[in-house]
Amino acid sequence: MLSKKPIMNRTVLYKIFEFSSAHRLSSDKLTSEENWDIYDKCNNINGHGHDYYLEVGITGDIDPETGMTIELEEMDIKVNALLQQLNYKHLNKEVPYFKTTISTGENIIQFLWNELDKSFTNQQLYYLKLWETNNNYFELKR
Amino acid sequence: MGNQQVLITKKFEFSASHRYWNEDWSKEKNEEIFGKCTSPYGHGHNYELHVTISGRVDQNTGMIINLSDLKKHVNEIVKSFDHKFLNLDTPYFQNKIPTTENIANVMFELIENQIKDKGDFSLHKIRLYEKKDLYVDVIKETNHE
Repeated sequence: MLSKKPIMNRTVLYKIFEFSSAHRLSSDKLTSEENWDIYDKCNNINGHGHDYYLEVGITGDIDPETGMTIELEEMDIKVNALLQQLNYKHLNKEVPYFKTTISTGENIIQFLWNELDKSFTNQQLYYLKLWETNNNYFELKR
Repeated sequence: MGNQQVLITKKFEFSASHRYWNEDWSKEKNEEIFGKCTSPYGHGHNYELHVTISGRVDQNTGMIINLSDLKKHVNEIVKSFDHKFLNLDTPYFQNKIPTTENIANVMFELIENQIKDKGDFSLHKIRLYEKKDLYVDVIKETNHE
């Protein structure tokens, strides 16, 4: 028999995913000079790209039968279904959401949060960390 | 000054093998849910454990906890997992699958007991890496939402 003793502390399972995308930071509301002033090299007319790393944290009770908060296969399917929409794409040109929203790390992580929060029910989504380069990352926590 | 809760984290490593198998299930169901983790001889990982202690900074020492004491206390626990087949060589997984979630919760409880009453500090969090891209946090929470 497996123990059914409830665990009071919070358990969070994290897995790291990757995707690679191109983008360009530029606002329709600004002149080209203003865009260059604000976004600098990220405003390069033909775009540039990153290997993004996304750490996804899922919380919940541990299922006594499996010992897991979530089955990893379910997590892979849900996260990869979303990342597939971004992977090897130019975000501004090929992903509808970023045709009208500037594809900064801040906006990308909020987009990912809102989409994943729909896939993972019962507020299972607890934490996201989006690495844009080795030197900068963005975080969201429930 | 000196009245804030500060967090300090120390890292540890251990290597262990494990096997996922639920005795209440058929072979087929075990293989469907746990896949290659069902191999009867087990498989292993190099685990990395981050232990985070919270407390106020002692004005005399400038420390929350003496790191060599923390190392001693945590190593007491870690050595009972290191180079072991967790299912058979530890008493903790007789009725629990040794998933990263369960190992982390067992270790949290053991470390918390080990440092209890040793000073004015407490275990805040542990993070257990099974692989570079897969890890679990157990966080002390008084109000679990």
